[in-house]
Amino acid sequence: MSNVQVATGVINLSEGDPGLVNEIKELGGEELLECIQCAKCAAACPMVLAGFSFFNKRVIHAILLGLRDALLDDSSIWACQSCNRCTEVCPREVNPFEIIQAMRRVAIREFALPTLSIEGLKSLYDTGHAVYLAGAGSTRAKVGLPDKPPSTVANLEALKELQAIIRQTALADLGIIPMGESDVTETCEV
Amino acid sequence: MPRIGVYICHCGENIAGAVNVEEVRKYAEKLPGVVLARDYLFMCSDPGQELIKQDIRNGLIDRVVVAACTPRTHEPIFRKSVEDGGLNKYLFEMANIRDQDSWPHWHDKEGATAKAKKLVASAVAKAAFLEPLDDRFVEVTRASMVVGGGVAGMFAALDLANMGYKVYLVEKNPSVGGNMAKLDKTFPTNDCSACILTPIMVQVGTHPNIELLTYSEVESVEGSIGNFKVKVRKKQTYIDWDKCTGCGDCVNACPAKVPNEFNEGMDNRKAIYIEFPQAVPKRAVVDIEHCLSCAKRTIGTKPRIHSKTGEPILAPCEKACKTGACDRSREYNPEGEIVELNVGTIIVATGYKVMDKAPFKEYSPQSPNVITAMQLERILSATGPTEGHFHRPSDGEKPKTIAFISCVGSRDKRYHTYCSKVCCMYMLKEARLIKEKYPDTNIYIFFIDVRTGGKDFEEYYNYCRDLGIKMLRGRVGAVDELPGDRLRVRAYDVDLGAPVELEADLVVLATAVEPAPGLEELGRKLGITCGSEGFLKEMHTKLYPVETPVKGIYIAGCAQGPKDIPESVSQARAASSAAAVPLTLGKVVVEPLISEVNQRKCAGCGTCVQLCPYSAIRLVEDKGRLRAKIDEALCAGCGVCAAACPSGVITLHGFTNAQIHAQIKALAC
Repeated sequence: MSNVQVATGVINLSEGDPGLVNEIKELGGEELLECIQCAKCAAACPMVLAGFSFFNKRVIHAILLGLRDALLDDSSIWACQSCNRCTEVCPREVNPFEIIQAMRRVAIREFALPTLSIEGLKSLYDTGHAVYLAGAGSTRAKVGLPDKPPSTVANLEALKELQAIIRQTALADLGIIPMGESDVTETCEV
Repeated sequence: MPRIGVYICHCGENIAGAVNVEEVRKYAEKLPGVVLARDYLFMCSDPGQELIKQDIRNGLIDRVVVAACTPRTHEPIFRKSVEDGGLNKYLFEMANIRDQDSWPHWHDKEGATAKAKKLVASAVAKAAFLEPLDDRFVEVTRASMVVGGGVAGMFAALDLANMGYKVYLVEKNPSVGGNMAKLDKTFPTNDCSACILTPIMVQVGTHPNIELLTYSEVESVEGSIGNFKVKVRKKQTYIDWDKCTGCGDCVNACPAKVPNEFNEGMDNRKAIYIEFPQAVPKRAVVDIEHCLSCAKRTIGTKPRIHSKTGEPILAPCEKACKTGACDRSREYNPEGEIVELNVGTIIVATGYKVMDKAPFKEYSPQSPNVITAMQLERILSATGPTEGHFHRPSDGEKPKTIAFISCVGSRDKRYHTYCSKVCCMYMLKEARLIKEKYPDTNIYIFFIDVRTGGKDFEEYYNYCRDLGIKMLRGRVGAVDELPGDRLRVRAYDVDLGAPVELEADLVVLATAVEPAPGLEELGRKLGITCGSEGFLKEMHTKLYPVETPVKGIYIAGCAQGPKDIPESVSQARAASSAAAVPLTLGKVVVEPLISEVNQRKCAGCGTCVQLCPYSAIRLVEDKGRLRAKIDEALCAGCGVCAAACPSGVITLHGFTNAQIHAQIKALAC
């Protein structure tokens, strides 16, 4: 277990938000209350090794106590690598990964997301890749690969479809990133 | 010359892991009087016992020594095989090379082997002097006494009574019911405690074979299995119970106020009171210490006569009494009455008490809103001080935020090192009852470990979590009083890795379960001992959990250790069947290991008479001289007389001087 302290001061439980549990359940974390804090998920989590203060087990516990602010003031939930090992090992079928996803949904609704995430979302919309290195073209050529990978980057039709899908999600309502159809560029270079 | 067979047990690895069995066997073979020495993996198993029987049948041996585990559990087993082989079963001696050798000297194999040799040599030396003895039989009084009228005592009494035996149920309070009568609902099924308990109380009160002795305490116990003579003190009630109908008129009339024990001191009762509305027997008692003696009506005095009306001036209680049960003119003995009972077996089921909150200064015990879980139980109960309305003590408001603190006085070296076992479940139960009735209540349980081992208990715990009861790992360090009757709870949340605090309206302390007051003294009267934690010690944790080292005395319920209701009842019913065995047999075997006086040589000095703890010896006249005589039925074989006799003419069979001297000599070699 990580010894990283989640906050410098004392956490006031009386300020806990009793509605957070239901919010998370509605946003995909249905099995939240099944957690008995055994920490098996934490033993499998790379975030713990990297020293983040809120990892699966602690995120769940903080949600149960309604510690919305403590969770939103911290960027740990965005560090989840989606490896899904927690979900595989959980003996209580809690699905901790889905709970982190649900917590991200809560955070996004409050615009509590780090700049890097905004960039990633924008890149996803513009290229179909959360991370895409535009300058990789020459490296690819050196090893005899086409300039662009055979993905949305090279397929404008597919990219448009993807963008249409993204515009149907809650992301469009939040207006975190610009999503105009006209914004689609021919080159998709970022 | 005796022909001794020595049998050495490996006890799997228990003995063989520390003792070189083969070396001990070779050593034993050469001891004087030994004709053969064998070893076996498990001597107590069928093939092991068969070795002994065969050697006896083949005429090879006439004395048997087994070097194995403890005679406490295994001596009867080997005596039986010796008997089955065709020898007198007292021509057997046991050397304990496990509990007294291999276990404590596990890391010193050479030393353990050397010690095993000495223990075997000593047993062999004694075996040479063994003499055949005959078992004695004693007639059994077909009645039993159960001490303690809680759920365990009542079930033990009912089972024995239903088997047809007379049962005396002794309870120190005015009513049976015990702690369970105070509970609101009971886990894991949330039955209402009163609904399942009161019918049992009625059965106990009306059973033709049960004689209830409530408001009574055991004064002394003499005798042994089959024939215990018990003196019970019926405390003075100052009410004629034959006339009292339990109507409660006297209670209503009484002006005195005394903290109510049944409601854990949260309200008052009167000085004349009925313990609780569902009491069995429903009879009033006068708490004489708190009685105001209204109208100068001291007990046992004639009333003054009103100067104008000529009527006697009575106290409100007696004036209210329609049956004459409350009559203060009567002379009552403040010491009550001593009743003598003859019983064959005794079951001790004296239960428990929960710790008070006072010692826990860090939790602001001075605050009326810091309560024990038992107090909360009374608040939740329909028969409690708030009639089941969920009000906190300070202002009668309904608490919105509640903190439960577990392990208060349990797992704590300053008070009790043991786990009180029932707290996790009763905290969950109380939290659940509140949450189900008032879903908006915020409930936090601060725990160290949630221990919900038991049938259907984990499911219960999960259900409570689903209700939104919040569980925090971390012992609360402080409860501070804040303005406005609020309480601040401070803890370190281990799962969060951060200090936390909480403002609560009510703090509930899960205080430890401890032995009922006076248990140790009762144990002394019965000759059974308490363990370091103050609970009665059973004969063997696993195999003889309701038996005690004193034959004919059994234990059940929380007198033996913290237990929940299902476990207490199971143990009570186990104790009742164990206690019924001697009653059913009608006579019991008593080991002939008792003392005998060589009357011809007795000088009649009477030293032994004074010393005998069992009053089994008296001086009788024989041809004009006084001589000591031992009552076989009463002698417990303790050996005090044999050791003290100045003329050395008392023999303790099984432990004769010759036998003991031989043992010591062998040890000294």
